[in-house]
Amino acid sequence: MTTVDPALGRPRAFSPVGLSVVRRHPLIAVLAAMVLVFQLTTGSFLDPANLSGIATDAATLAIVAVPLALLVISGYLDLSVGSTLALGGLVAGWLAGQGQSPVVAVLGALAAGAAVGAVNGVLCCYLGLSAFIVTLGMLAAVRGFAQQLFPLPLSGFGSGFAWLGGSRIAGIAAPVVVAGLVLLAGALFLALTPAGRHVFAVGVNREAAYLSGINVRRTPFALFVVTGVAAALAGAIKASVLDSAVAGTSGAGFELTVLTAVLLGGVALSGGSGSVLGVLLGVLFLGGLQNGLTLLNVPTFWQQMAQGIALVAGAALAYFAPRTAR
Amino acid sequence: MTTPRYPVDSVTSRRHFLSWSGAAVAATALTAAGCSAPSGSAASDKAAANGTAATAARLTKIGLDYPFTQLPLYSTLVKLSTAGAKKHGISLLTTSDASNADTQATNLNTWVARKVPAIVSFPMVFEAAEPIAKAAMDAGLIWVTYGGSLEHQSADIQFSFREGGTLLGRAAAEWAEQNLGGKGKIAFLTDSTIELGRERTKGMIDAFTKLAPGVDVVAREQAIDPDTGLAKTKAILAKHPDLNIVLGVTDASAYGGFKALQQAGRSKDHGKTFVGGQDGSAPSLLAIKQGTFYRASAALAPKDIAGAIVDVPRAVAAGKANPSAEVPIALVQHGDDKEIDALLAQNSQGTS
Repeated sequence: MTTVDPALGRPRAFSPVGLSVVRRHPLIAVLAAMVLVFQLTTGSFLDPANLSGIATDAATLAIVAVPLALLVISGYLDLSVGSTLALGGLVAGWLAGQGQSPVVAVLGALAAGAAVGAVNGVLCCYLGLSAFIVTLGMLAAVRGFAQQLFPLPLSGFGSGFAWLGGSRIAGIAAPVVVAGLVLLAGALFLALTPAGRHVFAVGVNREAAYLSGINVRRTPFALFVVTGVAAALAGAIKASVLDSAVAGTSGAGFELTVLTAVLLGGVALSGGSGSVLGVLLGVLFLGGLQNGLTLLNVPTFWQQMAQGIALVAGAALAYFAPRTAR
Repeated sequence: MTTPRYPVDSVTSRRHFLSWSGAAVAATALTAAGCSAPSGSAASDKAAANGTAATAARLTKIGLDYPFTQLPLYSTLVKLSTAGAKKHGISLLTTSDASNADTQATNLNTWVARKVPAIVSFPMVFEAAEPIAKAAMDAGLIWVTYGGSLEHQSADIQFSFREGGTLLGRAAAEWAEQNLGGKGKIAFLTDSTIELGRERTKGMIDAFTKLAPGVDVVAREQAIDPDTGLAKTKAILAKHPDLNIVLGVTDASAYGGFKALQQAGRSKDHGKTFVGGQDGSAPSLLAIKQGTFYRASAALAPKDIAGAIVDVPRAVAAGKANPSAEVPIALVQHGDDKEIDALLAQNSQGTS
């Protein structure tokens, strides 16, 4: 049996599917090793309750990481997601606190996220400004706007709104179900739709994509909007889980965490390559690492060092392994 | 602040946009500079030249440099201090340090250069603030250190951050003795990144471990925000599902722990669980008032702090003998409805 290497367009030697996947996503091996070490040293890492906790915590990260990964694949970047998350959580919490239904509260958050994403999209895709500068500016501007609108912490959103973050669907926490749907949608979009292929085309060579008839503005613009919506949804979920939201601190630093997950997952910052499976692995790696170090009761500064070293090691492996696999 | 209007073509080009936004930024900057320009800079210069005593008579501005602008307390303090200063014909200036020590130093140096007559500063790094305070004093300005003391200063506003932690630790230890027979498990959500956090952490841990030596300390985890408090407590609960007590260096982190325990199945009023924090933030105060297992908060009264921000520089300016102030920290628990209502009312003044 032979398979066709899509990169080279010619048959290559037989390779078991599992091994091939591991070669393409070396983070799987790192993740497996990490899980093994944490289980052996803590004895409780694989407990269902702990895994459920990791999944719930990682859910909001995954919800934002998937559209952000698509945006990065298309050659753009959104650093404003942390502030958008805060704004989404505050808007949803405020609406819920005003007695609005959870649906209205979430829709309000999504509208706020879409607005932020649309501003980013117009400035970056249609006016050609640097995505790095624009979204960095929006990171500060949206945070300031949120603090101006909601200078004090919001809390007590009611039992209806608590459903979003606290309920279980078929025994699985609602945020994990939402994250699963986002991951599935992202994977199907990339694999099965023409627009998904356009994301890669725009990221690989914008000019060539334009000459091929692809609308090189509309696709990334839509991704900016979707990323904003996803960040706001994550904010609403966090607000629901915590039954509170604070303008100054909600989602602070989240943009770097989610970008780290995306890059760890093998998405190229220069655009043009990446996969949703890789993003899922990056998210699980970050969530598992944080949880395991806490279980081990590692002192704070050692935790920071260990996290940094593990991230660099994971990224290095993800970078070098595909080359050796070819 | 006004925004200038420019004719915009029906088809917005990139060049038009760039020229428009450049002009808007420039105009906004000029307008902002105009808004915040010292109305009596000449008077301030003269006052500085004649030393602090002369500044006293012309104390028209107080600069409040509170670096943690992301905290809810910030907006409450600014609101209350501005109102308090206005009663004495004083305007309040503020910095925007965004929790960055470098930005703080730059902003303070700017104020010293502009001779803002009185500066109340909460230094993120006290050693870094020392030369700036000296420069301010040399220029004849009033320097009030917030949350500690410097060698060069006119006065200070002190809080015993360690005392806040001690109050909380003591309350939790007493509760453990009464309700757990002096046994059980505790997790501390700590902060070791800034002096304030280290002091609170030390007070909290020392007091608790001294008074409740039979309680097993199962974790000391860095957490100052609710997200981290939630994630850390969930992980701790995975290993120690029988965890009884979570004490936080902030109310925010403790509130995350409170939610993690609830999500693990504890009823809101679980009799064998104690969560406590520090700050006196609104969600925590409400949880305490409702009689949940969030049982205590070492709270600062924003009104007292805001009063000191205005009164201490005025006392220095008036030449009073002991102008410094110490703002008390009080432990609020279930049943302290009057104190909780008063704190909630003060906090709500940041909204309007």
